[in-house]
Amino acid sequence: MGRCRDKIVSMNVGSRRPWRKYAVIYRSVLMENLQYAANVTMGFFSYFIFIYIFIKLWGYMYRTPGELIAGYTKEQMIWYVMMTEMLIFGSDGAFVARTVAGDIRGGNIAYLMNKPYHYTLYILTRYTGEWSVRLPMYAVLAAVMGTVMVGPLSGFRPKAFPAMAVCVVLGLTINAVFKLCISLFSFWIEDATPFQWLYDKMILVVGVLFPVEIFPRALQPLLKMTPIYTVCYGPAKLIVDFSPEKCLEVLAAQMLYLAAGFGLMVLIYRKGVKKLYVNGG
Amino acid sequence: MGNTRGCMEQRVLFFYANKVKPFESAYSIKGEERTVMQAITVENLSKTFRVKRKEKGMRGSIKAIIHPHTEEIRAVKGVTFTVEEGEMLAFIGPNGAGKSTTIKMLTGILYPDGGRVEVLGIDPTKKRKQLAYQIGTVFGQKEQLWTHLTPNDNFRFFGAIYDLSECETEERIEELSERFALKDFIDTPVRNLSLGQRIRCEIVASLIHKPKVLFLDEPTIGLDPVVKENVRELIKQMNREEHTTIFLTSHDVGDIEKLCRRIIIVNDGQIVLDDSVERLKRHYQDKRALEEIIVDIYRSEGDG
Repeated sequence: MGRCRDKIVSMNVGSRRPWRKYAVIYRSVLMENLQYAANVTMGFFSYFIFIYIFIKLWGYMYRTPGELIAGYTKEQMIWYVMMTEMLIFGSDGAFVARTVAGDIRGGNIAYLMNKPYHYTLYILTRYTGEWSVRLPMYAVLAAVMGTVMVGPLSGFRPKAFPAMAVCVVLGLTINAVFKLCISLFSFWIEDATPFQWLYDKMILVVGVLFPVEIFPRALQPLLKMTPIYTVCYGPAKLIVDFSPEKCLEVLAAQMLYLAAGFGLMVLIYRKGVKKLYVNGG
Repeated sequence: MGNTRGCMEQRVLFFYANKVKPFESAYSIKGEERTVMQAITVENLSKTFRVKRKEKGMRGSIKAIIHPHTEEIRAVKGVTFTVEEGEMLAFIGPNGAGKSTTIKMLTGILYPDGGRVEVLGIDPTKKRKQLAYQIGTVFGQKEQLWTHLTPNDNFRFFGAIYDLSECETEERIEELSERFALKDFIDTPVRNLSLGQRIRCEIVASLIHKPKVLFLDEPTIGLDPVVKENVRELIKQMNREEHTTIFLTSHDVGDIEKLCRRIIIVNDGQIVLDDSVERLKRHYQDKRALEEIIVDIYRSEGDG
């Protein structure tokens, strides 16, 4: 270590810049995924089919031009679905569930745990690296498809783009945190897949395919109290119909859910790791 | 006749195993005054797992849903030993003997049910992360490298994970790639490397932060004899030059003979022998190969 002697030798002391290692994990995932960026385009076809069906579906539902359903014009409604589907296709939330469940069941977690990082943050960082490549590609596809097939989005405020981006990032992170919490139950139960399925379907029906306003008025406050509001509905609603008040409301809810989700995640992990049983070898 | 011989052997082994004190350093260099520091201290370590049991067939599967039946498996039963700093120890045993469970408790992955563990003065159950900076692990059957990245990128990654500055990482990569002869393939993605090249990279990745204790779990598994020899030589060299404590688990007797001077044999969660390889060989003068001796010990303990 001759050349580095004049510098502060950090070896074996740890945590001088705790976030640097997560930045490096992020960069490594990005480097890995950039090699396979072309593979992402394989999913474009499914996205196209899905959106095409919804364009036709909402075309039948809206009989007259300018008609409003639950406060949305036809264009807004289609753009809403395009945005939520962009978040789902572009983020691959199943990555978290797949990786964590696989690590716990396959015993790989044992080899990841004895590294000087927090396993849950390692997974979240990897997930962020995953969607950092996919999401921009799906965003471009959605923008092109929407403009060509539906027409420009009238409620979109380009100046508010940074706020929207923050909400999207927070929404994806909250989704990953909750999926991680469910996956961590694999420490106790053999397979957490049924719980993941339930969570995914709730997000799909309540937040992705239809905005919250579609549901009965009595249900809406309840739905707005679930993480669905912060994961899909909130960010998509801001893209389709931005207002500063709505943005603050979504951000506040996201902060609350993120704090609660993180607390829950750390708690489950701490308890679960003591239950770890690593199979053979 | 064979049975009588087996019983005799078993009695001899029992006697022999109980005569050897676990902390006795049978190979200490005479006349050399040196303070021996303990790298690893294990006292009465035990671990029990609850394992699901199911009767055979569909009926058994349905029954298991209604009345799940679990059984306690005592994987480690009151194991006690110490390892000196800079020592190369072989910790071996048949499959299911409890050696991997012990390693996992030493590295803080599993929580013991009883007893005490200290690695470099750190309790792994309480300060796993702190300990992680001081130890390295190589599991021959598991990959820790990112397969789509090159070894060079992987080493930089591990350098950052262990909080090394870029300058420190660069120097360490240079030093280790020279020593482990990685120059020819350091910029080739790991997925394109041969097993021997990959294992060398795995070892380098686990050495990047200059660990004081290195846990090697079957590091030469699947390698051809030439590469095995090469890897062993590199481990020896590293122990000599960096005074790294080596805790080796292997089913390959060659690894044990070439690398370690002390051997601990575990069976059924207990230590059945703790001695120097040399004395073990001397004790069994009638048997030539260490492998035969080890197989005999496994068998006699299994019968017992």
